[in-house]
Amino acid sequence: MSLIFRLAANRCCVNQILGDSKNGLSFIRPVTLKARSADVPREEGHDERNMKLGRPQSPHLTIYAPQLTSMLSITHRFTGMTLSAYTIALGLTAAASPELIPNAIENLECLQLGELAISALKFTLAFPLTYHFWNGIRHLIWDTGKFLTIREVYATGYLMLSLAVASAIVLSVL
Amino acid sequence: MALSLILRNAARTNGMSSIIKSTIIVDSRKTFSQLLDKSKVISPLYRKINLPIVKRSMSGDHSKLWPIEKAVSVILLGVVPATFLTPNVVLDDMFAVLTVVHFHWGLEACVVDYIRPILFGAALPKISLGLLYLISAATLGGLLYYNHHCGGIGQTVRQFWEIKK
Repeated sequence: MSLIFRLAANRCCVNQILGDSKNGLSFIRPVTLKARSADVPREEGHDERNMKLGRPQSPHLTIYAPQLTSMLSITHRFTGMTLSAYTIALGLTAAASPELIPNAIENLECLQLGELAISALKFTLAFPLTYHFWNGIRHLIWDTGKFLTIREVYATGYLMLSLAVASAIVLSVL
Repeated sequence: MALSLILRNAARTNGMSSIIKSTIIVDSRKTFSQLLDKSKVISPLYRKINLPIVKRSMSGDHSKLWPIEKAVSVILLGVVPATFLTPNVVLDDMFAVLTVVHFHWGLEACVVDYIRPILFGAALPKISLGLLYLISAATLGGLLYYNHHCGGIGQTVRQFWEIKK
């Protein structure tokens, strides 16, 4: 097979050379080589590249099974956002009309919502704080390079979660 | 068979020459990778190859701010409970400043992570970040004012917590 191809190719070449040889060696073209600086690849952003390749967002939330590790991690951010919202609400109210704050507390006291409702309200304020507090300690310990094996990450995760729930319950019945 | 042998050899010689070339080029650069120098497993031949450190400039150099962020977090672990247990102006002000700084960095990370230029265009991420600075500054101002002219943060939280039913 290869022999046939090779012969055919040889034939073609020979024919061409012979045909052109009447006008001299016209099949020889002058080639000029010029030095130039190498092409620098265009800086491409992480997002740009991933979008061009059609990659899904990482982590791929629609197919990725929820795990304790990732759920505790995103909850840390959510509780942080919640606490930020509490602080911003207090700060902006204090900036706009500070007398509203003691008035609101008095009004709440007058409403007599009942023990359960007040405890629930205290829990919604306290839990994000206790969670962010205990998990924050966990993150700071990680930053020193400790408790980073999967087993330890799970153990500290469960410990942190129980501490957070327990201290939030204690605070809300105070 | 013979062809594949030739091709393979050609590739090998090409590969070798390119490796030698790149060694010379890379070696002439002045940046030294600490990682390669420190690692003991790498043979003496490869220890000479010093790859330039390529830093991704997604959010700039964060190595100076990082320890400060961690220090603020550690201090907050003490300041927050102390403010609620024994409210006074000094603790209230520390609470205000450190909390605002802490949540500002946290929300800044959220804005950078979620409000990305590729999803929202060039303008909105910048506007969001500017808005965040405005909110953080206003919050800090409000809290400091409240600490000095009204009840103070710690006392207010205690008053709310004294409501039993």
